[in-house]
Amino acid sequence: MEAMSPLERILRGIALTLVVIFFMFPIVWILLMSFQTNETILRIPPSVVFTPTLDNYAALITGKLQTAAGTLDIAFMRNLGNSVFLSVVSVAVALLLGVPAAYAFARHKFRGSEDIAFTLLSFRFAPPLLVLLPLTQYFQWLGLSNTYFGLIWVYQLICLPLILWIVRGYFEDISADVEYAYRIAGHSWFATFRKIALPLAGPGIAAAGLLAFIFAWNNFVFALVLASADKQPVTVGALAFVTASGIQYGQIAAAIVLSITPTLALALYAQRYLVEGLSLGAVKG
Amino acid sequence: MYEKEKDLIGAFLRGEVDRRGLLKGLGAAGLTAGTAGTLFNMMSTEALAADFDWKAHSGKSVKLLLNKHPYADAMIANLQTFKDLTGMEVTYDVFPEDVYFDKVTAALSSSSTEYDAFMTGAYMTWTYGPAGWITDLNEWIKDSSKTNPQYGWDDFLPGVKASCAWNGQPGGALGSEDAKQWCIPWGYEQNNLSYNKEMFDKAGVSVPKNLDELLTTAAKLTKDVGGGVYGIGVRGSRSWATIHPGFLSGYANFGQKDLNVSADGKLSAAMNTAESKAFHAKWVQMIQESGPKDWSTYTWYQVGTDLGAGASAMIYDADILGYFMNGGDNKMAGKLAYAPFAANPAASAPTPNIWIWSLSMSNFSKDKDATWYFLQWATGLEHAIFGATKMDFVNPVRASVWKDEIFRERLKKSYPGYVEMHDISAPGAKIHFTAQPLFFDLTTEWAATLQKMVAKEVPVDEGLDKLAESINRQLAEAGLG
Repeated sequence: MEAMSPLERILRGIALTLVVIFFMFPIVWILLMSFQTNETILRIPPSVVFTPTLDNYAALITGKLQTAAGTLDIAFMRNLGNSVFLSVVSVAVALLLGVPAAYAFARHKFRGSEDIAFTLLSFRFAPPLLVLLPLTQYFQWLGLSNTYFGLIWVYQLICLPLILWIVRGYFEDISADVEYAYRIAGHSWFATFRKIALPLAGPGIAAAGLLAFIFAWNNFVFALVLASADKQPVTVGALAFVTASGIQYGQIAAAIVLSITPTLALALYAQRYLVEGLSLGAVKG
Repeated sequence: MYEKEKDLIGAFLRGEVDRRGLLKGLGAAGLTAGTAGTLFNMMSTEALAADFDWKAHSGKSVKLLLNKHPYADAMIANLQTFKDLTGMEVTYDVFPEDVYFDKVTAALSSSSTEYDAFMTGAYMTWTYGPAGWITDLNEWIKDSSKTNPQYGWDDFLPGVKASCAWNGQPGGALGSEDAKQWCIPWGYEQNNLSYNKEMFDKAGVSVPKNLDELLTTAAKLTKDVGGGVYGIGVRGSRSWATIHPGFLSGYANFGQKDLNVSADGKLSAAMNTAESKAFHAKWVQMIQESGPKDWSTYTWYQVGTDLGAGASAMIYDADILGYFMNGGDNKMAGKLAYAPFAANPAASAPTPNIWIWSLSMSNFSKDKDATWYFLQWATGLEHAIFGATKMDFVNPVRASVWKDEIFRERLKKSYPGYVEMHDISAPGAKIHFTAQPLFFDLTTEWAATLQKMVAKEVPVDEGLDKLAESINRQLAEAGLG
């Protein structure tokens, strides 16, 4: 490793600090806003000196929001619960279906395999609203409208292609010889998949799962169109603080903090897999 | 028990005693506000039920799609009264305003039977009506077997009621004889001035009376109030919502129109007249001199927030936006006042363009008669009085609520000038746009042109000529021009 001169080290430190400030500033600012009232947030000029309050979090957790027009009931915690439930179950279903499918596409060349894989990918190209309006009618006929089951099914449009295509790349990267060796030892196809392929593609699967989770979490339009107010995710619920009688900036900030926490925690926990997994898939041997 | 009090409430409901007399009487009888309220609700329910079979749909259920708004909150707070009166069940979905119309459009365009009735703006019915998504409510309003004889359809403010009725012909006059009643007005907004009294006093200015005075007053406020406060807040985003509040209210006051309608029903752009160009030039100058720095991003929310936070000295926008900013935890709460505004010095009164939150019935409703029961209750006088006196169901759309002394005094106490502003401008208040299916596209383009003028990318005259040319082309392509 090359030794750095003191000047280089200082410059490097300054550059790093600037980059961190640039990227972290909005998040830190939102965190600070979440502990302020609307009045202190809207001070001119803005200031970082304030008396912190937990009112915003209390309003979100108790579901009672004070506005210029009186007390409003808000369902933010329910929205948060919906987001967690929809995202976790959707990703779990997509992993269950997508990983074996990805393995099949990677290892077995069969008639129409590329066409099927591409068709699944093409779900990602479709503008959601174009799909959703006819789907609303089908869902009504099938009795699936306004159900969690129906929503999780539709969320597969986001999760399944993502997992399938990312994980397929990882399976292709794993040398087939390792699997052949295991098969020759007398193990079944399924045992090979479970004991050899899955562990080797683990980081990739984790990365794909995490990405799918983030996409599912950020989705907005599916539940909006297909479900009632009680099944809306946090992305729709957070808009409830923008009302005709004013914008509740403090509560919006607190809502953002609460809603990014699960994804942030998951990303931090899985950071190692994420970087490893994504970089593995980036260069195909 | 409470017989005397019941007699008094009964006399009030029959119109023999006014509300002031009622309250005095109940107070003298030593009734607490809570007991009086319970008695009053019970008696009004009985009175409502007197000549009409409110129980005809007992046991049925209707589902509503609502926008998160003080009007919806007022209705939800009073919903038990409806359930007690009719024996019906009401469920509802409330969505934030930002996504509300997406939800409505998705539900209606997919012929969803989930919702029976929903909140809408009158402009939206120009799309929903011709598409066959909503029902002409005349069928119920005019049917005496389905509508309570005390409903009081004539009690609605005429300009507001007419603005919710259109015959579906592009350019057809709102409220014409053959018009279909696409929605029932619920609450509405006039566009006038809401201003910060303290800042006006500090700068030594009085309330402007016309557009020229508005320009000079706003400029003086920008210069003299200090602390970065700017003179006037108006909307500026690239949206139809930039055109419809103060801008169109002032524009219409000069007798200017958005579109011409020829004798054979053809439409053509009307915004490139000399008078229109003069108005636009002054409006643009006002924003350049005294508007917010990032005006082109300004929507309802920014205009209101700045007034409430003391960043602007006045707004020419919805009166209820000023109303909301005078309460809650807004820094300027209690410091705002209101004034009617006629932009044209030659005009005798203001001509505010209006936004009307209304209730429509979905054409895909599974039980329209039952839905109508809800609609007539929600737009009825009893609920309007409840909302206006106990909640923020303002501005009411019924004349008799505006005559209600308790309501007027409530406003006078905390909202200086609001009642007078409403009284003066209500006769000229209506939708001043021409009803036609390209409404949203054309007004959005108008707003985009305004942005270019303010940014000095195009001179006012040239910009309006180009806009008129483009609008005429689009109207012709759509077979309307």
